[in-house]
Amino acid sequence: MMHSKTKRNEVVSMNIIELKNVGYAYENKRKVLKAINLSLEEGKMYAILGSSGCGKTTLLSLMGGLDSPSDGQIFYEGKNIEKAGLSAHRKNNVAFIFQSYNLIDYLTPKENVALTSKLPPQPILERVGLTEEESRRNVLKLSGGQQQRVAIARALASDAKVILADEPTGNLDEDTAAEIANILKECAHQMNKCVVIVTHSNELAKQADEVLRLHRGEMKMLDRLNQSGRSGCYTEIVLQTYKAFNR
Amino acid sequence: MNLGTRAILYTARKWKKTLLLFCLLLSITTLVLSGLAISDAQEEQAEELRGTTGTSFTVSRNTATGGWGNGGNGSYSTQEYLTSDMMEKIVAVDGIEGYNASIRTILCLSDVNGQWLEQLEPTGHSMVDCQFYSYSCINSEYHSLFLSGALEMCDGEMLAPSFDNGIIISKEIADKHGLHVGDTIQAVNDPFSNDKTKELKIVGLFEVVADKTDERNNFNEASYYDYANNAFVSETTMKALLENYEDVGYASADFFVNDPEQLEGIIQQVQKITSINWNNFIITANDEVYERVSSSISDTGTLVTTLIVLITVVSMVLIILILSMSIRSRKKEMGILLAVGIEKPAVILQYTIETLLIAVAAFPLAYLSSKQVAGMLGTLFGKTAESVIVTTQHFTLVATLGAILLIAAVLISCIPAMRLKPKEILSQME
Repeated sequence: MMHSKTKRNEVVSMNIIELKNVGYAYENKRKVLKAINLSLEEGKMYAILGSSGCGKTTLLSLMGGLDSPSDGQIFYEGKNIEKAGLSAHRKNNVAFIFQSYNLIDYLTPKENVALTSKLPPQPILERVGLTEEESRRNVLKLSGGQQQRVAIARALASDAKVILADEPTGNLDEDTAAEIANILKECAHQMNKCVVIVTHSNELAKQADEVLRLHRGEMKMLDRLNQSGRSGCYTEIVLQTYKAFNR
Repeated sequence: MNLGTRAILYTARKWKKTLLLFCLLLSITTLVLSGLAISDAQEEQAEELRGTTGTSFTVSRNTATGGWGNGGNGSYSTQEYLTSDMMEKIVAVDGIEGYNASIRTILCLSDVNGQWLEQLEPTGHSMVDCQFYSYSCINSEYHSLFLSGALEMCDGEMLAPSFDNGIIISKEIADKHGLHVGDTIQAVNDPFSNDKTKELKIVGLFEVVADKTDERNNFNEASYYDYANNAFVSETTMKALLENYEDVGYASADFFVNDPEQLEGIIQQVQKITSINWNNFIITANDEVYERVSSSISDTGTLVTTLIVLITVVSMVLIILILSMSIRSRKKEMGILLAVGIEKPAVILQYTIETLLIAVAAFPLAYLSSKQVAGMLGTLFGKTAESVIVTTQHFTLVATLGAILLIAAVLISCIPAMRLKPKEILSQME
């Protein structure tokens, strides 16, 4: 977790990503995000829930510098990412994990990881569960779970403080999805990354420290969950929030 | 991983695409190199033509503006003749490489012992058989019979203005009388008058290559007009042989230009010579042969140039299409590279390097293959295989322009994808 020391030498958590009044409209003027205000911290895993087409992926893209907001500003460590340069932001500050893995098909897992890192890729691949032999195969010959591990390894190799994952378990079976969820949780808690996951999966959302819901372009914080498995509580809060939205 | 490594890995691992582009570049470059070689051979032929068609202009007496007189042989023009002084002034104009004026007469030829030589087909009357049609030449190289190709030198040399007492006879007459280049014979204009007999050295022998049906120069092998019975002497020799007769000058003279393209301008310059009364002379351009042949060569040249341009344009369109399709199919990769923070110029540079890597292999191979193919293709355009040569200059030109065009093709192919934001590329992939 990123901290800064105050004059009294107290350790205070600092926001790594901050969205201020961020809005986004498509070219046909349809507004998909409306005045989103959000602060995300290092060392936490966030889950963003919402129905299809509600703008979850768009929000993730804006945080990752893949696009620019129509309104508002996005800050990384207090600096406006557009002013600092979106390409540099993508290169240095954030790493993406996609539902469809998005690996480069003519590169091996090792080479895919080396795309973003000058560090030896093999230890990182082993850390996410790939053997030496698997690391030398054509990526398309790996299973979905293995490909997603390569994608995670690539994200970790970049040494970015923020990992943005768009439906990272969407194409995976339950067991593999759980393993991937654990890896992402480790990234947040042990490697002090800020992990933001866009998902439809309640199971994955349960693993998150904070759950956010995007509804009709507006963001609502649903809960702050610890890691003690308060899934019942989470469901209850989801229901209560729905009621609140309906009112 | 740097973009160079990515480019090499892509080129090696996507070998089918690489092979397709390689084959395309190889065949296109081979064709263009061959086209350039054919075009150069064409140009060389045209250059050669300029020097060999004998493009000239003739300055002749204008009998229409002169008066007329009457003599023993009937009426004759009293118009002035072309003098040596006039001809020297004309030949001093830039662009004229030489000139010739000729007087034709019948000379009686004999060997050094005074034994009359015989024509090729003797009549049996020695005083008839020893008569040879003879031309005086300022420069025999420019005599119409040599220029037209009717006669060809086979031994010795042409008569130049510096020659004195020289004669050129046919090889057939020389063989008939056992004469060789360097031997001496005698010539007289009229043996029954007090005309001077001169000893002349044989400086050259010619062969008759004219078509026997050639009527242009009154060819008739059964008469005096048989080319084999012709002889050529220098101007000074002829003047000495005809010293008993009035030297009136020449009725006409032919002036030969270096470059047929400049003929018109040269004639204009000649007409500016004020010491010659141009009212008394006519200038006629003799460039029909050049115009006719150069028009045919120019047509072939245009065809070759059109083909080269066509091949290049069609090839470029084809390459742009293939590259566009290839880059379209790599949109996902582009989105991924942009998502991991690689900048657009670096992605374009990677694609450019990949294409150039293929070109680096294809271009030299095309150079080698075009050396084999060019000659074969050249024969389709009426060139000899030996005259169509692919040079290193052609290769340098094609390689440089090819590389520039390939870079342009990659850039054009990248435009549609590069105009999109990374999010749009990634969402299109989804």
